[in-house]
Amino acid sequence: MTALQIIFLITAVITLGAAAMVVITRNLVHAALWLIMTFFGISVLYVLLNAGFLAVAQVVIYIGAISILMIFAIMLTRRVQQDFGPQTNAAWPWALVIAAALFGGLIWIFSGWGNFFTQAPVMGERADPLRQLGMALVSPEQYVIPFEVASVMLTAALIGAIMVAWERK
Amino acid sequence: MLIEYLPIAILLVISTGLAALIVWIGNTFGPRRPTLRKSLPYESGMNPIGPGTRRMPVRFYLVAVLFILFDIEVVFFLPWAIVFRQLGLFGLIEMFVFIFILLVGYVYAWKKGALEWE
Amino acid sequence: MTIAFEPWMYVAVLPEILLVVLTLVVLGLDLALPEERRGGLGWLTAGGLTAIILVGFAVAMPAGEPRLMWGGMLRHDWLGFAFKLTALFAAAATSLLSMDLAQVGKRGEYYLLLLASTLGMMLMGSAADLVMLYLAIETTSIPLYVLAGFLTRDDKSTEAGFKYLLFGAMTSAVMLYGFSLLYGFTGSTNLYELASLAQAGQLSLASVFGSLLLVLVGFAFKISAVPLQFWAPDVYEGAPTPVAGFLSTASKAAGFAVLVRVLMAVFPGIQPYWGAVISALAVATMTLGNFFALSQKNIKRLLAYSSIAHAGYALIGVAAISMPGSTLGATSVVFYLITYVVTNLAAFGAVAAVGRVTGSDEIASYAGLSRRSPWLALVLLVALLSLSGMPPFGGFVVKFAVFAAAVEVNLIWLAVIGVLNSIIGLYYYLTVLKVVYLYRSEEEDKPMPVPGGYALGLLVLCVGILLIGTLFAPWFSFSSGAAAALF
Repeated sequence: MTALQIIFLITAVITLGAAAMVVITRNLVHAALWLIMTFFGISVLYVLLNAGFLAVAQVVIYIGAISILMIFAIMLTRRVQQDFGPQTNAAWPWALVIAAALFGGLIWIFSGWGNFFTQAPVMGERADPLRQLGMALVSPEQYVIPFEVASVMLTAALIGAIMVAWERK
Repeated sequence: MLIEYLPIAILLVISTGLAALIVWIGNTFGPRRPTLRKSLPYESGMNPIGPGTRRMPVRFYLVAVLFILFDIEVVFFLPWAIVFRQLGLFGLIEMFVFIFILLVGYVYAWKKGALEWE
Repeated sequence: MTIAFEPWMYVAVLPEILLVVLTLVVLGLDLALPEERRGGLGWLTAGGLTAIILVGFAVAMPAGEPRLMWGGMLRHDWLGFAFKLTALFAAAATSLLSMDLAQVGKRGEYYLLLLASTLGMMLMGSAADLVMLYLAIETTSIPLYVLAGFLTRDDKSTEAGFKYLLFGAMTSAVMLYGFSLLYGFTGSTNLYELASLAQAGQLSLASVFGSLLLVLVGFAFKISAVPLQFWAPDVYEGAPTPVAGFLSTASKAAGFAVLVRVLMAVFPGIQPYWGAVISALAVATMTLGNFFALSQKNIKRLLAYSSIAHAGYALIGVAAISMPGSTLGATSVVFYLITYVVTNLAAFGAVAAVGRVTGSDEIASYAGLSRRSPWLALVLLVALLSLSGMPPFGGFVVKFAVFAAAVEVNLIWLAVIGVLNSIIGLYYYLTVLKVVYLYRSEEEDKPMPVPGGYALGLLVLCVGILLIGTLFAPWFSFSSGAAAALF
């Protein structure tokens, strides 16, 4: 096993374990904190895939902003941090069946894919994904339309959020 | 390459280890004689008047949402800023359009008073 | 694949650019004008959208071969163009129908969200890349979540917005997972590149079919097809009525545009498989929608179930596309949706006009409507009869086209189920009309005022229904142009 594989396995175990804790733990705030752990594991996975910028974006957006929003949202609710009551409802066997079926389906999908054991091409020393991304974002031959549409979407989301949460005078 | 991330990994290991170490030292060597008064949450010398966790006003949510949106905006700037000189005028104009549209949203938030904390 | 940038691409997206400009102008005016002078925002939005439609006809009409543009993000073709104009038209009609609604019509945010959502729909129609497609779907959905919950003081509206958000977010996550599988298996996000890879046999059947199912979850939610239809009645009931109309028409049409494009582009290799899936969806959607509609007491819920049923009829056309040798399939779907958008907007417009006076959406409160406002009753008559598929209204011609498309490729059983469903549909539409025309009420001598925006909007929509129903030839060639350019 290479060092890379060992790091990957450790990260994967931590990420999956933290993700499981998100659903298992009874305290919602703790669930949000475990979610931060999961996000962090994912950003390490991005690093392992040589997607450094994505890892940074993951830390800045998901850990820095979205988990804060989640914790605020939990604290907005009426029954803050109450950790009693059942965690499942009557439909849990169905949920189990559906989850198992989905998992089986995914295995079936992947089983038809022949490229599982092909090695990903190694990026050259001179490759600079961040630079390429910067060029691609505003290039009319690549992603300029999605880039500009994203700004409209963000503005609409901004105004929508203010609309919903702000009491009009 | 991955070796570039080694300092970050070392930093993570040291900071996690240090935090654990400090907690462990405190727990192991610190003398502990708890009384009821010592176990109460610290409220500047007053008796606590309720649980420590209570509902927060919706304003916090609004601030967090605004923060996310501008955070995403900043993340978009980073790759653009790196190749700014190569992109020339077209890239500059595209980024101005992007910023302008978001700025309109910002002006809206400002005018509606969503940035004020009364 | 690189697509060189050429200046004509600016012209091709000119309607979108103008729409963004209009959005910014509306928002700027909302901030600049004092509250009592914001009544003109609705007229400005409707007028601006009409102008954009005219500009679109003048300069952005696709000519010749369909072409990929802007780095393969968009495709300049008839399918996209037809749905673009449909979305613009629906948004213009919606703003006419909502500007006299209390708590909605004088607020700049409302029009801004409407326009942002319209931009998403226009891009959904012409998106040719998974990245663009996902962004377009989200640009459509996020403003719609807020619009559905626009009446923040009203519990039902809040519930509608919240339900729509939860289901929408979940299904779009599943769909995004399907997209990521497609990208992972092929290394390409462009729909037409994916198509050529699929045809070259690069993809195994399991991977294509599996990702198709995941992607279908997102699309089925957008078009409210069974089994992802359950959100529609609650959301339509709670949302402001014009928004419900917009949701049930433009959003659904955009969903169909995406469905048809993706199915035909990416999954042609497994047509028999998705043909079977779509046929099953069509039968379930029509039948469930119609049966649940029978027992509704609230007109918005009734229209919601009827709109589910109509998604089923349109799916018949989509199923016909899947069969080899179909010439009518794609044409009939495009044609069906254009007509459905016009008709259902008229129905929801009339419901909004009645609801703002009576304050109720119960069918019982429509008693005596023909005496209180003969014109509104007439609009309702035209819209509901067109929805039920009676000649001489538009609904008849397009239903005929869809069933003909099914018969053409030997899906006769599907057409028969469709006809049986139309008969069930006729029953509940006539029940509403019976209340409108035959029942008396104590308030029947109080006339019902119809403000200018409603009058204009409903007039245009009714004339549209009649034009499609009588002079359908120009419309038919418009839509067949759209379908011919799909490949």
